Amino acid sequence: MTLQEQIRSNRLRSTIVVFGFALLLGIVGALIGVIFNLSLGIVALVGAGLYAIFAILSSRRMVAGMTRAQEIGPDDLKPLRRIVENVSIAAGLPVTPDVRIVDDPAPNAFAAGLRPTSSYLGVTTGLLRTMPKRELEAVLGHEISHVRNRDTYLMTMATIFAGVIALIADIGFRMLIFGGGGGRDRKGGGILVLVLAIVGLLLAPYAAMLLRMSLSRRREFLADAGSAEILNDPEAMALALKRLQLDTTTIKYADAAVAHLWVESPTQRVESERSGVNFLSGLFDTHPPLDTRIAALEQAGGFRLPDELSSDEPFAKELGLDG
Amino acid sequence: MLWVWIVIGVVVLLLLVLVYGYNRLVRLRQEVNTGWANIDVQLQRRADLIPNLVESVRGYASHERETFDVVTRARTALQQANTPAQAAVADEGLTTALGKLFAVAEAYPDLKASQNFLELQEELTDTEDKISAARRYYNATVMAFNTAIQSFPWLLLAGPFGFRARQFFSAEGDTARPEVSFAT
Repeated sequence: MTLQEQIRSNRLRSTIVVFGFALLLGIVGALIGVIFNLSLGIVALVGAGLYAIFAILSSRRMVAGMTRAQEIGPDDLKPLRRIVENVSIAAGLPVTPDVRIVDDPAPNAFAAGLRPTSSYLGVTTGLLRTMPKRELEAVLGHEISHVRNRDTYLMTMATIFAGVIALIADIGFRMLIFGGGGGRDRKGGGILVLVLAIVGLLLAPYAAMLLRMSLSRRREFLADAGSAEILNDPEAMALALKRLQLDTTTIKYADAAVAHLWVESPTQRVESERSGVNFLSGLFDTHPPLDTRIAALEQAGGFRLPDELSSDEPFAKELGLDG
Repeated sequence: MLWVWIVIGVVVLLLLVLVYGYNRLVRLRQEVNTGWANIDVQLQRRADLIPNLVESVRGYASHERETFDVVTRARTALQQANTPAQAAVADEGLTTALGKLFAVAEAYPDLKASQNFLELQEELTDTEDKISAARRYYNATVMAFNTAIQSFPWLLLAGPFGFRARQFFSAEGDTARPEVSFAT
């Protein structure tokens, strides 16, 4: 499968996902219609549609807001921009994505934007302070693969739709609990239908989340492989992942809504420590475990990672960042 | 009547495969062209930096004429290269020539400290990195295209529609096998 074919299969998948979400949205609307009354269901759907359109139009800013990524001046951090430029050239991107900085000690990175021509990468200061150049390149290669594979488009859409579904399901549920329920005197469907509808309303956000997660997980393997291919250096990606694994700081602003955008799951450790239920946390993780990802790279590249990580200077030194 | 429909069905199917295959080859070829354009931009940028670099060295070491000539010739060779393999050879030639120029520069501390020279040197290093990045992409697209036109069934299309294997950007000229000469 060549890259372009991969991209096209991704586009097809995007279409399916958009329809999947639309279907889910329709179900939620219908449920609200059953529980309350039909017109409320329609109002909810139209409102959700408008909100989704608004969200798509302002997604660039929204993601930047949720991740606290800041734009940098044209002359700042030139060496970092250079790396991004070189990696995008090697990836064959038509336009080099912008770079934004997240002031956070946890090493992580993300890519966002609907089109490859209007994408940007977010990099935490922690990443710059942790990674030597070779591994930083690999991480940027991973993010640029997401841009090239149109994952960012798919993920942005998925985020917005999942958010919209969660929002209206939540509103419907609140109305149910705090009075409301204007249509309950309408004895149309009977108590069983009502109970089923409520259960459906409860489960809808989880269904949306599952849909979103299932999308992002295999993309991580693809992006790892993409980085290895772009840089012709699978070991660098594996080393970078190993370093992320050994690092214990998690992102301060880990907003669950954008968790799947990052290179390493920002909430993973928090979640796995919090919940003892492994099966469920496995299902809801946005990222496959780092061990699995490293093993996949080792297998593809035919190498074994050394036990010790290199003690090369972090890239922040070259950038002149303090610390 | 049944067999007529079967024949029509088979013909339509074949046509669809043909259209798909043709479009796929065109797309792959287009990617190779884009990849080559990317390299070309960087090669041009590299060539554009050379006159300034030579001037800035000449300001301090005017008598090193021979080295300047070597660099200028290498630059001209790069600009006149017609094929990816030629360009790759010329690009390596330029790298060698520049190596000599920088070796000359070593002997002039004032030059090495000059801001202009340092900036040019940095630009040049950056361009070289970009050339090797663009090379990786281009060679990957060539690999995909060449594999496609040499594998069944698309190789049946490649000939009649004029899809020819493309050269890698590599000084070894991966498409042209090294000529073994038995002459002594």
